[in-house]
Amino acid sequence: MLIELKDVNKTYNNGQPLHVLKGINLGIDRGEFVSIMGASGSGKSTLLNILGILDNYDTGEYYIDGRLIKNLSEKQAADYRNRMIGFIFQSYNLIGFKTAVENVELPLFYQGVARRKRHQMAMEYLDRLGLADWAKHYPNEMSGGQKQRVAIARALITRPQIVLADEPTGALDSKTSVEIMELLQQLNREDKMTIIVVTHESGVANATNKIVHIKDGIIGQIEENFGHHASVFGTSTIMK
Amino acid sequence: MRLDVDSFREIADSLVRNKSRSLLTGFGVFWGVFMLLFMLGGGDGLKQTIMSNFDGFATNTCIMVSSQTSEPYKGFKEGRYWDLTYTDVERLRQMMPDLEIVTPVIAVWGGQVMYGSYSSSCSVKGIQADYGKIEEPRIKYGRYLNETDILQERKVCVIGKRIYKELFPDGGDPCGEFIQVGPVFYQIVGVDYSSGNISINGRADQTVSIPLPVAQKLYNRGKVVDLVCMTGRSGVRMSGQESRMREILARQHLFNPKDKEALIIINTEQLFSLVDNLFRGLNFLILLIGLGTILAGVIGVSNIMMVTVRERTTEIGIRRAIGATPRDILSQIIFESIALTLVAGSFGIVFAVQLLRLTEKIAVAATEIPASFQIGFWTAVLSALMLTVLGVIAGLAPASRAMAIKPVDAMRDE
Repeated sequence: MLIELKDVNKTYNNGQPLHVLKGINLGIDRGEFVSIMGASGSGKSTLLNILGILDNYDTGEYYIDGRLIKNLSEKQAADYRNRMIGFIFQSYNLIGFKTAVENVELPLFYQGVARRKRHQMAMEYLDRLGLADWAKHYPNEMSGGQKQRVAIARALITRPQIVLADEPTGALDSKTSVEIMELLQQLNREDKMTIIVVTHESGVANATNKIVHIKDGIIGQIEENFGHHASVFGTSTIMK
Repeated sequence: MRLDVDSFREIADSLVRNKSRSLLTGFGVFWGVFMLLFMLGGGDGLKQTIMSNFDGFATNTCIMVSSQTSEPYKGFKEGRYWDLTYTDVERLRQMMPDLEIVTPVIAVWGGQVMYGSYSSSCSVKGIQADYGKIEEPRIKYGRYLNETDILQERKVCVIGKRIYKELFPDGGDPCGEFIQVGPVFYQIVGVDYSSGNISINGRADQTVSIPLPVAQKLYNRGKVVDLVCMTGRSGVRMSGQESRMREILARQHLFNPKDKEALIIINTEQLFSLVDNLFRGLNFLILLIGLGTILAGVIGVSNIMMVTVRERTTEIGIRRAIGATPRDILSQIIFESIALTLVAGSFGIVFAVQLLRLTEKIAVAATEIPASFQIGFWTAVLSALMLTVLGVIAGLAPASRAMAIKPVDAMRDE
């Protein structure tokens, strides 16, 4: 198991205590393409934050590749995020005053990779995603799909163990959404990349091979979806 | 801490991105540094200008003049006049080994000096050769009066700058020429160009200096001298010698040694320390105002960095999510703060140096005193160092706020 969650609990204590995750047990293998689906308020974003070491959990255990992720120092957490996890966000979260290639370089900068080397690697990844011509452009000169592909390049450049995508198509039109999901599928298929997508869109979830349903902080049903017939609507396209 | 070319470019970028804001914030620091350095340099130049008035004047000099007694003593009434004599000079020389030079001066005021058809007003000063160690001459032509002139009672003279200019408008070496003061002709042996504004019996540039015995005889002074100038040996404080001088002279001339009015002693040491104290006070004020202004500027920088951090919450969150440690964020903010203060401050240093150069040019042209208004090289280096430290301090509060930003906030702040 690459990812293992054992009875993870999380309570937010902002005024009224809010028990968000009520004992999550989940295992994800290397090379899986999983979606976590749930309505808003179901705790899926909290789960994603914990998976991405962006947030702490209260009780339980979380292992990545056999390593217990608990009570890490900020420095350690930053290092794990940098080396093991690649993030893709709904709103791309590119840095606006940096060009595409500079954005992609950034994780390597924090790894201390030499300037020439990281530039070369960033160009390689942009080229793979068909954006080599856009390397010198700023995010606000690009379309949503292009921005998301830059974000994907940034997530991939550190060769992470896991890619976490939080509503990766949330801000895109349906045509581009399909393209992005196909890109993720391709990454999973060809590079054996472990990808976890958090979404509330059934069409997006349908593109993945396994769907984890989460409701009120508990994991409900886990469907195998190699046939991609889970969504009533989304057999051929993604419903927006 | 990871630093390479990109880090510096990023710092420069983020300062340039908010041009007017960086400019306005930097101005506070710029103005503070400029004020501090300009006033320090200006104060120093002013001090040198004022001190040049004491030019060529030994710092541990003491001048004594006889005056009316103010107390009755040994049967004499108060209000009695007495005179310093040449014997007093010998007596002081022998009884006070701490004095290096004791030299008498006779002054004759309101003379007229003539050379051919030119004439100039002057005062005549009868001196001995060692007077040159009290008020140092700056000899332009010829030489100063020497021992032989005094011993042989030669009718020779050294003239001041202004007399030379008025009697010899065509310039050239006047030595060997004869000038007439009253009925007597003197041969010029030297021209003294000293320009100090301290004057013992008349300004140096309007003085005709002649050997003391010549003056004594020509002006019927007998043994009486007008004043006695003294300097102490090195390390001797003249103020400590005063009471002994009074005792020696009081015993001879029968006045109360405690009678300050009977014998007036002017001590240049006090004069120098007065000016010194004045400028020490001025420098303290300058430091207070200058550092205060810089501090206000630095607080401005700190404030703006605070705003910047708040604006960039999302960006910082993203950086944290993709692997920036709190330390990376800390160094980024602190370096930005240092850059802002240092760049603004450097402009202040450069501007102050340029303006001081201009001031020096104008001031020297106006006063003809070669005073240096410029700040020292190490003062500039020190202020640059200080700016760096202040930049760090200004960055501390914003950086700690930036460090507190959690990566989750990046996603929440949309």
